[in-house]
Amino acid sequence: MYELNICHLYPDLLNLYGDRGNIIALKRRCEWRGINVNVSNISIGDNFDAESYDIIFLGGGQNYEQEILHDDVINQKGNEIRNAINNNKVFLAVCGGYQLLGKYYKTWDGKEIQFLDAVDFWTIGDKKRMIGDFVFECDFLKENGFDGKVVGFENHSGRTYLGPNVKPLGKIIKGYGNNGKDGFEGALYKNVYCTYSHGSLLPKNPAFADHLIALSLKQKYKDFVSLSYLNDEFEELANRTMIKRIIG
Amino acid sequence: MNLRLTFTIIITKLLIFILRIFKHGGTSLPGKVARKIYPDIIKVISKDFKIIMVTGTNGKTTTTRIIGKVLENNGVTYVTNKSGANLVSGVITTFIDSVDITGKSKASTALLEVDEAAFNVVTDFVQPDILVVTNFFRDQLDRYGELYSTLNNVRSGVEKSPNAKLVLNADDSLCVSLAHNLDRDVIYYGFAHGATDSGESIENSDAVYCLYCKSRYEYSYQVYGHLGAFSCPNCGYSRPLPQVACLKVVDLNSSYSDIEFTLESTDDANERVSHNARINLPGLYNIYNALAAASLGHLLGFPAGSIIKAMESFECGFGRMETIETNGKTIKIILVKNPTGFNQVLTYLLTETQEAQIAFIINDKLADGTDISWLWDVDFEKLEKIQENISMFYTSGIRAEDMAVRLKYAGIYTDKIALIKDHEELLNKALEKTQEGRTLYILPTYTAMLEIRKLLNKKFGLKEFWK
Repeated sequence: MYELNICHLYPDLLNLYGDRGNIIALKRRCEWRGINVNVSNISIGDNFDAESYDIIFLGGGQNYEQEILHDDVINQKGNEIRNAINNNKVFLAVCGGYQLLGKYYKTWDGKEIQFLDAVDFWTIGDKKRMIGDFVFECDFLKENGFDGKVVGFENHSGRTYLGPNVKPLGKIIKGYGNNGKDGFEGALYKNVYCTYSHGSLLPKNPAFADHLIALSLKQKYKDFVSLSYLNDEFEELANRTMIKRIIG
Repeated sequence: MNLRLTFTIIITKLLIFILRIFKHGGTSLPGKVARKIYPDIIKVISKDFKIIMVTGTNGKTTTTRIIGKVLENNGVTYVTNKSGANLVSGVITTFIDSVDITGKSKASTALLEVDEAAFNVVTDFVQPDILVVTNFFRDQLDRYGELYSTLNNVRSGVEKSPNAKLVLNADDSLCVSLAHNLDRDVIYYGFAHGATDSGESIENSDAVYCLYCKSRYEYSYQVYGHLGAFSCPNCGYSRPLPQVACLKVVDLNSSYSDIEFTLESTDDANERVSHNARINLPGLYNIYNALAAASLGHLLGFPAGSIIKAMESFECGFGRMETIETNGKTIKIILVKNPTGFNQVLTYLLTETQEAQIAFIINDKLADGTDISWLWDVDFEKLEKIQENISMFYTSGIRAEDMAVRLKYAGIYTDKIALIKDHEELLNKALEKTQEGRTLYILPTYTAMLEIRKLLNKKFGLKEFWK
């Protein structure tokens, strides 16, 4: 029997608006297929050994909470996170967690906060927030006849810019994405998936959830071929209804 | 005589009258118009009132209703914004509606529910003599912004009201901070140690770390969410001893709660005078609302009997456990708007011992919050253990599909989830399936509540909410 170990980093601090929905989705979709899942909650002061996990999840947080964990993530867990990324560990990072993996965050009034520098991107704050439902298209999801369209909700004031070796996660169809200008959303580097789509990203985009599950199983088990079929009637309905409403 | 005042009042009253004829609530537009004609009107018109304001994330409307009953039982004449018109314009409409054309009112007191995001602006025009704060929880992010900015907005309003006495929730570290280092008269209310044991694990996601020094709070007990006996091991910021406390939850069932409570500030059980009361609405969260109202009554020196009577007899309506009986079947509407409130409603549903049906109606209009990802912070997983008792889970509203997905991932069998977008069809099907003597619970978000009430009103007749 296959088994996946998921690490939820700072669940008590980076848990803005439904981020745990992603963990629920990964867990259920594995369980429905008979894949065993363990979820470990790792927070401030906890020992973090990336090698014990197959998927590592970072959610978003409010400013106040991000300040609280800043020292722990930079000084205690930083090296481990950077090593894990270089060793092709699967990461999903959303919103604040996404920004945290980058080089720095420069506030709108010019203050620069050093981040993990694990992936080559950086974020610049602005006063105007980018809020709303949005749709983007991911090439890596275009398989088995699926069009790769992902739907989510974004709410961020930071504008993120990618360095030359980092690919965007997808192309914006409707909405703002990374910075509201270049037409791209999120970041993809090695097996690190970063996005501004918070909350219910994976439940409503089951192809994305399955992509992450299959990727981590492939890394862990040589004999793994593919995931078994699930009836996704409700998920697809939720996905298609919103996409239709947003794109028109 | 102030002619401008009289002119504004006449125009506004006329507008209120016309809007009511056409069956619009008419709760905020008249206030907007009045403010245009006479920007200072609220200052002039409110100066003879004793002003009580109720704000906070959850429980404002219910707390306001119980306070209303306490006032009524003590012969206090008051005006109130009953319909949840709790922004600046709604507050103005309430005042104008209550005065004659010279600006005088028969009522001595104004009891106002004020939106927590609007409170700061409201206090630019009118300050409370007493401010009751229920709690602070995460709410719709796209509408209110981060929780800490809401808290700081309310704090700024408190600072603008230097003479206001405060009634605060002792169990809420965020709420208590409003009086921190301020020299004010404060009455605290809360749950005493051992008053309740919900038996389920309590998730605190809104206030885990100390507001002042960022250390992790320690709790000697929790009630729900971040509510409980918090204390910071580093800087010592901790829960104050509440004067008004629930000592014991005697019975918590699907229709009401029986509690033992005290109005005395003492930890010594032998010296404490305790009272028994039945709270007319079920749910742990309504005990907090009743305690808040009791604190206000106590602050005003009203006898305990009049407070207990108010707890037993208040009615809320307008989607707060609003009950409709039809052909021996019961429909209960319970408004849901944020994770903590929703979780409390689900905990309440676990007290239902008979077979029942539940309909979730989820909209994402501006007043509901356009971001529905908060549904993933609600602990629907706890419904899994009563799903044998629930014959069908319905999902409806603009985001019916997302709600169906949420239930599926909570472990509800997909053949027990019925997705029906049309409200009328939903109501007909669900009622048909509800047996006599059983209950259909309808859990709508705010605008969905307005829609479903309109439909229920057409079918069965409801109390009109602006009366």
